[in-house]
Amino acid sequence: MATAYTTPPPPGDGFRARVQRMGGHLAGMVMPNIGAFIAWGLITALFIPTGWLPNKELAELGDPMIKILLPLLIGYTGGRMVHGQRGAVVGAVATIGLVAGADIPMFLGAMIIGPLAAYLMKLFDGLIEGRVRPGFEMLVDNFSAGILAAAMAIAGKVAIGPVVRTLTEAAGDGVGWLVDHDVLPLTSVLIEPAKVLFLNNAINHGVLGPLGVQQAAETGKSILFMLESNPGPGLGVLLAYTFFGPRRLRPSTPAAMIIHFFGGIHEIYFPYILMKPRMILAAIAGGATGVAIFLASGTGLVAAPSPGSIFAYLAQTPRGTGNWIGVYSGMLASIAVSFAVGAALLGFGRLAESRKEKDAPDGDATATAEDPENAGDGTTQQPAAR
Amino acid sequence: MVTTIDAKDIRKLVIACDAGMGSSVMLAGQLRKALKKQPVEVAHTPVDSIPPDADVVVCHRGLAERARRGAPDAVIVPFDVYIGDPAVNQVVAAIKDGGVLSV
Repeated sequence: MATAYTTPPPPGDGFRARVQRMGGHLAGMVMPNIGAFIAWGLITALFIPTGWLPNKELAELGDPMIKILLPLLIGYTGGRMVHGQRGAVVGAVATIGLVAGADIPMFLGAMIIGPLAAYLMKLFDGLIEGRVRPGFEMLVDNFSAGILAAAMAIAGKVAIGPVVRTLTEAAGDGVGWLVDHDVLPLTSVLIEPAKVLFLNNAINHGVLGPLGVQQAAETGKSILFMLESNPGPGLGVLLAYTFFGPRRLRPSTPAAMIIHFFGGIHEIYFPYILMKPRMILAAIAGGATGVAIFLASGTGLVAAPSPGSIFAYLAQTPRGTGNWIGVYSGMLASIAVSFAVGAALLGFGRLAESRKEKDAPDGDATATAEDPENAGDGTTQQPAAR
Repeated sequence: MVTTIDAKDIRKLVIACDAGMGSSVMLAGQLRKALKKQPVEVAHTPVDSIPPDADVVVCHRGLAERARRGAPDAVIVPFDVYIGDPAVNQVVAAIKDGGVLSV
């Protein structure tokens, strides 16, 4: 399809859907629990020694929350995704095997063992279905879940836990290496395109968030929370469209900007990049600029800003002038750079005008063909290829 | 793949997004308002857990393939932009005015 008003065409679509689904599973274990993460972030930001209201007694809440409650919620949710309430219960019990006595937050482990335990439960339930003698269902159900959950907790404690700890520490070291060698801004080259392919939640909540929480638990803040969630690049792209985009798209951008920047729903700007894929360069440039400034100023957030709204950022910025300057100068620079690059890529409006003929028909003409608004305006309707 | 449905058979309209917490909630709110007087339930869910009783699923084109796999019996309406997309307007118009919705 020559008109680039739809998502890039099929090649890799099946693969993309698979990656999306995998990522969706990871994010699906975390996102329903974001409220608990925010509670932990607020308590930490307020009561740790360097916080707004240092209080030793209340600060004691933070440690059990991050080391026990949050991994348990992830394991529970992961189990529920696989096998309903029974899966949730065995997932939670299995997770306790990992977290009991662990000195690091076992998020990645919980993402593995929760669904795994639930999957085994599902297999067992499938195996015995219809074979239990009438009247013994409850006994079998309860004891099978109990025995499996206990076994998985033990396996988690003695076998899976040590492996996960090694893996988690290796991942943490990898991130540390990226930070120490100042190459973190390069991650924008991967992150920004992945975002617009709807892997934003997978990246932020499936990968960066759990690593960031671990870092924040040690140092009170983490830059990893800001790599994906920074609303700056998206706002810059939308601003570029407002001033220099195709005329028929301009009216929708102010509302999109409000939803994106204040509401934190980043999906709203993805279509604007998907319809002109070269605009991804603007997002990458803005993202990398922001990360470079966050890195140089040594700033971070106390917990994941979710959704990636400016309000969530304000709530999660740790105390200290340096942090505030770093976070918001980085965000402003992201907006400015992605706006500037985006404006150039849109040819400061000239390109849009000269290509007016080409841009006019909608890519998804199958959907618009019967739309009375579009029927008589002289544009040729092209049937979509799919 | 189901591509047409008589508008009067639409009982449940599902808006799906990746996590079912962000953009789908936003769009579902708008459609709920637009379809307030119609006998149609508007729900929002993650694209991987679309309920089996969904008649029509509205989701972004980038997620349509996942939606088709999870809801083979529903009409999947892919859209491109979140505000004022003709595909979404077409669904609203079909439910309000009757007729056949085809994608």
